[in-house]
Amino acid sequence: MDVEELLRGIKPLEGQVTAIRTVQETRPREDYADAYVAEVNVKCASKVIKVLDSRFPRDSSQPLSHLRRFAKHNQIPEHLRPLLLREGSSPAQTIFVLISPPLPDIESLQDALSPFAPPNPTEGENSSPLTFHTIRIPLQPPLTPVQADAWSKSMWPVVYNPAAPRAMIAPPPHILARARDSIQPKAGRYLALAQRVADEAERSGLGRRVGAVVVDPDLEAEAATDNNNDNDDGIHWSDAVVAVAGDGRYSRAATDTEPPHPPNQIATTYSPDHEGGPELHALMRAVDLIASKRREDRPGSSATNRPCLTDMERYFLSKSDVDTTAAASTQPTEPEREFDSKESTPIPPPEKYQKTTETSAQPIHTHTEIQASTLTSTSRIRPRSQGGYLCTDLDVYLTHEPCICCSMGLLLSRFRAVVFPRSGRMVSGGLASEPVVGAVPVEEGQGEDEDKNEDVAERKGEDGDGSVEREYYGLHWRKELNWRALGFEFVEEQGSAEGGNAELGVAFHA
Amino acid sequence: MEMSGDMPPELLENNAEHAYFMKQALMMGEKALATGETPVGCVLVYDNKIVGFGMNDTNKSMNGTRHAEFIAIGEMLRTYPRSALRSTDLYVTVEPCVMCASALRQYQIRKVYFGCGNDRFGGTGSILSLHADRSIDPPYPVQGGLFHKEAIMLLRRFYIQENEKAPKPRPKKHRELKTDFDQEVLIASPTP
Repeated sequence: MDVEELLRGIKPLEGQVTAIRTVQETRPREDYADAYVAEVNVKCASKVIKVLDSRFPRDSSQPLSHLRRFAKHNQIPEHLRPLLLREGSSPAQTIFVLISPPLPDIESLQDALSPFAPPNPTEGENSSPLTFHTIRIPLQPPLTPVQADAWSKSMWPVVYNPAAPRAMIAPPPHILARARDSIQPKAGRYLALAQRVADEAERSGLGRRVGAVVVDPDLEAEAATDNNNDNDDGIHWSDAVVAVAGDGRYSRAATDTEPPHPPNQIATTYSPDHEGGPELHALMRAVDLIASKRREDRPGSSATNRPCLTDMERYFLSKSDVDTTAAASTQPTEPEREFDSKESTPIPPPEKYQKTTETSAQPIHTHTEIQASTLTSTSRIRPRSQGGYLCTDLDVYLTHEPCICCSMGLLLSRFRAVVFPRSGRMVSGGLASEPVVGAVPVEEGQGEDEDKNEDVAERKGEDGDGSVEREYYGLHWRKELNWRALGFEFVEEQGSAEGGNAELGVAFHA
Repeated sequence: MEMSGDMPPELLENNAEHAYFMKQALMMGEKALATGETPVGCVLVYDNKIVGFGMNDTNKSMNGTRHAEFIAIGEMLRTYPRSALRSTDLYVTVEPCVMCASALRQYQIRKVYFGCGNDRFGGTGSILSLHADRSIDPPYPVQGGLFHKEAIMLLRRFYIQENEKAPKPRPKKHRELKTDFDQEVLIASPTP
């Protein structure tokens, strides 16, 4: 078969797998804001906290847990001492409370805290109204003990938590290292395969030259133990590939009411009306091929409504066609289900996937090995009945950096990792947070569409040489999104990257 | 469902029209709720007609990317050319997520109306502002807050359900369906 011939002929790309720098790493934010400090009676400290927390709700997106809520006299930063330490106040009697943003108005603060005002030695019983001093505080937790120390001296006492900030900035190093070690040995091959898939997509006229390869690391581990025999026919390296998909953005145009355009011509420009949508991009198609395979397992479903596939896509999908006669001999036949419920009752995710954890890969691995040995023919795409759920724990290899839409799609599909060549980084990409080649030159002759250059105005005032600084979204490990897919780039050995840098080519959504 | 007719003042002019389309989106959300999907619904309106209905379909399709917006666009594109989306408005019960916000921009949607915000994954203002940021596609305007109480109630009714398939089903017997809107409500993610 042609596809097997092609697999034998694939030459791995040479290079190193490296983690994508996150937006928190490349654009470290040092945000500051105003806060109030007031001196209160030290004996009332816990009551003060209670009152503050109940009267003035905090913003859950800004926990500010790195800021100490109280500072003793000797903890007050040097420059604030003249402001805060008044004559006659003693560390035995008073302590300083921090009121952090969102800041309430002074009157309601006065109202809430006046019972806890410091005892006033000069006026006996009557304590004077509280004074609220405005200071600056850091909104982000300190990233290093040195930073924590500097802020404590110059702004307000802060606490350094070695675990918390790291995970907010980038994937934990041990998790990253483990994934990289498992990805490095075969990444060059998978990426070379992704390029062949991309070639096929372009040749077929169905899409741009973009390809995706989805790999199950658990199958790789199995193959490593099973296939140590010598009769390797040159394609065993692809045994862990569960699906491949090429870009299909021009595939809808054929069924449109619009006249078809020769794809090779339109691929040289970005023309949104002919691009199809992101659901036809390589990554989204790969996700849907996997889902469509699982849907076939449902009673009453058939393989007939498979989307239009290229040879390579069909080849890998067929690796998940379980030989039903073989399977039937080892599996009890499933009782007929009521058909009226099949469409309306969604199958819930298998238990272990309802909550994904870092360690979920371990039990799954042993699980599949048991299953594999009892079945004569197994599906590469793990069926729902064996715990297959979305793209959990799968890796995806792409020829290009995915667009923002596909980047979020891979998060929602719960991939373990995404890998693309650094030369495939896109100005329209969703994962990287910085350009490879610095400022990208403005492309000439791209403005035939009147809307297209609406950002021309924004370009003014940029670097005088006509280059422009573009927005790189850097969704990878964005803390607001609770990102969990590990992002890697494949850095090809010098001079070996063919086709130059995608950032300098036509800007489109990959 | 009872409607409070809660509309942002900017929309009062074409109140009846906006209300009609948003109610249709809410009905799609109801349908999603009834079939065990996260209750998000939407409609696409072209030339004053609904040309696409969508509801979240991630469970049934076993595909985590099948959000309401994609379903509706898929339906529309079976009949209309892609360029028609440039003259099409979206009414969706919850602010589009980052994925959908980017897709809508790539499709060059004309305008997006939504019910409640999406504090976890919102792509048109809550987390990112993909409708307005610089991009190779033109920006689109968004208008939130149409029937936002109804949109929130749909989500609350979904999340109060017990999930007996969960590893440790959490009894939610004592939970009461909250109906107050005194405080800004934490909106759960419209994803599975």
